[in-house]
Amino acid sequence: MNNYREKTVGWDWFTIIIVSLLLLMGMVNIYSAAFNPDRPFLFDLKTMYGKQLMWIGIGLFMGIVISLIDAEYIRKLTPLAFIAVIILLILVLFTEPINGARSWLGVGPFGVQPSEFSKLTTALMLAYIISQNRGKLISKQSLTMALTLVIATMLLVLIQNDTGTFLVFTAFFFVMYREGITFDPIILFFSNRVLGLRFKHTFVGIHFIPVLFIVIFLSIITLYFTESKHTFSFLPGYDLPGWMLLLFIITLLFGISFFINQRFAAQRSKKKMRSAILIVYIVTVGLVGLISYTYLNVLQSHQKDRIDLWLGKIQDQDGKDYNRNRALAAVGSGGFSGVGYQEALLSSPRSKHVPESETDFIFSVYSEEWGFLGSATLVVLFTTLLIRIIVIAERQKSRFARVYANSVAMIIFYHFGINVGMNIGIIPVIGIPLPFFSYGGSSMMSFLIMILILLKLDSQRKEVLA
Amino acid sequence: MNLENRRLVFILLFVFVGVVFTARLFYMQVIDDKWIERAGEVSKKKITIKPPRGILYDRNGEKIVANKTYYNLMFVEDDIDSLDTLAFANLIGFSVDSVHMRFAEIRKELDRKTRSKKTGNDTVVNDYRSYLPHAFLKELSADEISEIAMDLSDFQGFYEEPMSMRDYPYPYGANIYGYLNEISGPELNADRRFYNVGDFIGRSGLEKYYEYELRGKKGTKVILTSSRGKLVDNFAGGKLDTNAQQGPPLHLGIDIILQAYGEELMKNKLGSVVAIEPSTGEILAMVSAPSYNPNLMVGTRNIRTNYRKLYKDTLKPFYPRPLAAEYPPGSIFKVVNALIGLQEGVITEDASFPCTQSWVGCHNHPPANSVAKAIQFSCNPYFYYEVKKIIQQGKHTSNFKDAAEGLALWEKYMHSFGFGIKPETDIYGLRSGVIPNVAFYNHWYGEFRWAFSTIRSNSIGQGEVKMTPLQMANLAAIVANDGFYYEPHLVKSIGTEGPQDKFLVKKQTMIDAKHFASVKEGMRAAVNEPHGTARRARIKDIVVSGKTGTAQNPHGEDHSVFMAFAPFDNPKIAIAVFVENAGFGGTWAAPIASLMMEKYLTGEIADTLKEKRILEKHFTNINE
Repeated sequence: MNNYREKTVGWDWFTIIIVSLLLLMGMVNIYSAAFNPDRPFLFDLKTMYGKQLMWIGIGLFMGIVISLIDAEYIRKLTPLAFIAVIILLILVLFTEPINGARSWLGVGPFGVQPSEFSKLTTALMLAYIISQNRGKLISKQSLTMALTLVIATMLLVLIQNDTGTFLVFTAFFFVMYREGITFDPIILFFSNRVLGLRFKHTFVGIHFIPVLFIVIFLSIITLYFTESKHTFSFLPGYDLPGWMLLLFIITLLFGISFFINQRFAAQRSKKKMRSAILIVYIVTVGLVGLISYTYLNVLQSHQKDRIDLWLGKIQDQDGKDYNRNRALAAVGSGGFSGVGYQEALLSSPRSKHVPESETDFIFSVYSEEWGFLGSATLVVLFTTLLIRIIVIAERQKSRFARVYANSVAMIIFYHFGINVGMNIGIIPVIGIPLPFFSYGGSSMMSFLIMILILLKLDSQRKEVLA
Repeated sequence: MNLENRRLVFILLFVFVGVVFTARLFYMQVIDDKWIERAGEVSKKKITIKPPRGILYDRNGEKIVANKTYYNLMFVEDDIDSLDTLAFANLIGFSVDSVHMRFAEIRKELDRKTRSKKTGNDTVVNDYRSYLPHAFLKELSADEISEIAMDLSDFQGFYEEPMSMRDYPYPYGANIYGYLNEISGPELNADRRFYNVGDFIGRSGLEKYYEYELRGKKGTKVILTSSRGKLVDNFAGGKLDTNAQQGPPLHLGIDIILQAYGEELMKNKLGSVVAIEPSTGEILAMVSAPSYNPNLMVGTRNIRTNYRKLYKDTLKPFYPRPLAAEYPPGSIFKVVNALIGLQEGVITEDASFPCTQSWVGCHNHPPANSVAKAIQFSCNPYFYYEVKKIIQQGKHTSNFKDAAEGLALWEKYMHSFGFGIKPETDIYGLRSGVIPNVAFYNHWYGEFRWAFSTIRSNSIGQGEVKMTPLQMANLAAIVANDGFYYEPHLVKSIGTEGPQDKFLVKKQTMIDAKHFASVKEGMRAAVNEPHGTARRARIKDIVVSGKTGTAQNPHGEDHSVFMAFAPFDNPKIAIAVFVENAGFGGTWAAPIASLMMEKYLTGEIADTLKEKRILEKHFTNINE
């Protein structure tokens, strides 16, 4: 017991203050965004702000209860929590869809969204699996296990038709990257055993996050061009589809690099480079093909529209782009210092020009009322919180705590980046909540518990957990 | 491999995104005004307020065309909370079925055909929106709405909305004012900036001619609206709002008492009475018989029930006879020919022609040995000889060439009287009458194949010449004025502007003032001397001068025509009366004119027997 006290260094007040500030701002904002003139009382449980306050209360209570548990036990309870949420994710598939997604599990008048909690449990589970490896190296079994669990959960969320949360799960790849996990064992299995090459390690396997950015860049290019038609004077009467043109250009580029390699590369590495170029070429072509195919044939029409609207390929500000256009107008009309609290013109609950202004587009209300000053403050607060969580992560001795902390940072980053990004028009519309701001019990509770578990683990950072 | 450094990837990513977001926010919120404009487009709405139409007053300041408030029973479907259809139907006097049918009808009225851009097929789009107000019942009078209004609060979603429509305190003058009706597609397209679907627009008469003045100026109100178009707030505290301005009142030359009297006198008759103030050209009365009560054509409800009935009436009450009906003027035309002869010098005041009835019949009268006498007796042969001297002046050896030149000259004179041309005045639907000219007869008979003998009927106002009753009245005014006139017009002043410039232009005929004396003497004698043709036009203590006419009508009984002015020395009123199928001009048209003049000059009628005779006469069933 004595030992325990010495090693308990206390709560990270910096994080607590920032989160409290965000919670306070969120509450003030939702009181304006969902204001009901018939029920102005803040604690009225029939209003959204009353309920939100209740969710915060419940979330804090649950978080504090969990944080009473010793960190070691939290780690040990992880698989149980993970499996429980997986079961809920499966159960939810048998419900009636609401707004096209099967994500609500109703308990009387209250509903929970298991997908919101699955981010928390997956973060814990990933930390649990990785922390079982001693030293820097991660066993092939652990890697396979981690990948399987993350991808399985992702797929369950995707079946629900919750694309937003599905995307958030890619956050975990960043965490793996930080842990030095290399996909080489899997890639080498294919390249060496299946294709018969002789690589020792691959760039892709180790530096998959930089590769991810290249992939994202390639994807945007593909999405932009794939549907367009191009006519050439040397090809009269025939419109070349964009994806064909793209493949042609890629082939040309790789052809040139292949030629340069043959001509100028050192004799020693020539053969190896040739294989690498070939593989990258095949993968690139495969990727472009896959994205084109998905975009043209798999995506639901509203998803395709959202991408087209975001890329500016189509304009329909009073139709398909209604929500985004109104939210952008609300944000943009905030000016430098905002139009004033509860004075929003576009996003106020009285005028209702911005749909979903209490959930996905809540940032537009905040931004219209508080202007650039308020919005920039919010961005700074979130960025500070994220950096602080990374700082917390990096001071953990326990690998479990570090992986978990990094996951928390990345999850919050995804939510913040995507939500604010779509509210200011630099990301297509993807419906996920802004942490501590958007109305919603499940997300509010899961974020609070997430933070409290983080703080709890941090308070015991002097102890070496497994 | 130093994994510690990889945390920098995270931190750099966070900082990068933070900077990008801040920069983007700064651009959107502080630098770029595009979104503020967009916000305005989305939330601001301009509401236009239309004022009630301008009022019309008569020459004595009597309100003759006014406005009255009516009510629409409006509803917003989204606001209706479980409608008790039975109770509602009872309240408005509908059956339950017709309540449902009315709802369906409102919806269907907003069907709109469009052509799909993609397929090119016609599709029907419905513009009905359940969150916008629609009229359940339209144009309810104050009495009708008061029966409903009390219990209307029981039916959530329904409310009353006032609207302004025309009201005519005097049921006379319908053909002068015209009427209003809902705007048509082409009219709407012509001025989209002012009109909206469902607006009323002037359809005829003054309402049409002075539409621009009467409609007034729109007011605008900028409001902030919700996404469903509901009022949230006034924009900028109403600073940008402008008030609607009612159009200026129109002050008419019409004397509504005289107009009413004229319409009463012309009841059960077909024809026109036009009275003009010679010194100004203001029209004092313009009666078209039969007419209708203008209140029958107020609002779509009335128009729906009354328009067809009036339109299908064989007596054509919508037909504005004083300005659109072209008749042979009959003997009143002799006055014009006499004046031209005097001006041309082909006759003198003492010219005498024998009453030889070889060309044309005449009636028994003492010898017409002067122009005055010829007019007093209305001697037909006299004017054949006289007009022959105008047409055949002997300037060419060829009779035909001579006639062509003479007729061209004659036509010029006619135009100087305003005959055969359409004047620029504020009367909508005006016709020009017919003055046959050289081209007219060349077309008919061939060049140089006609001479005076071919066209001689025009000498006595028969044949091809045609005039509107308005032109006949103006002829009386010209004679009263000794040779000039002001364009006859209805509106004295728009608001307080005073007379319009175009009505202050003095129009001089080609006849010198000195030639009028003998003509006027003839007209005075026609009324006041023995053997005069218009002795029924006499008024006690007032010297009337007039000329009768009997326009031959090949389709039936002759038309009775009379033109006059009074008092002789200082003419205050010039008048023309045309009664279709009433026979000799002195019998019916003359007494009607005298009653009108007496009414206008003295305000009362001394000879009530004369009045009674006119009021009781029916002419409308002659042709049926």
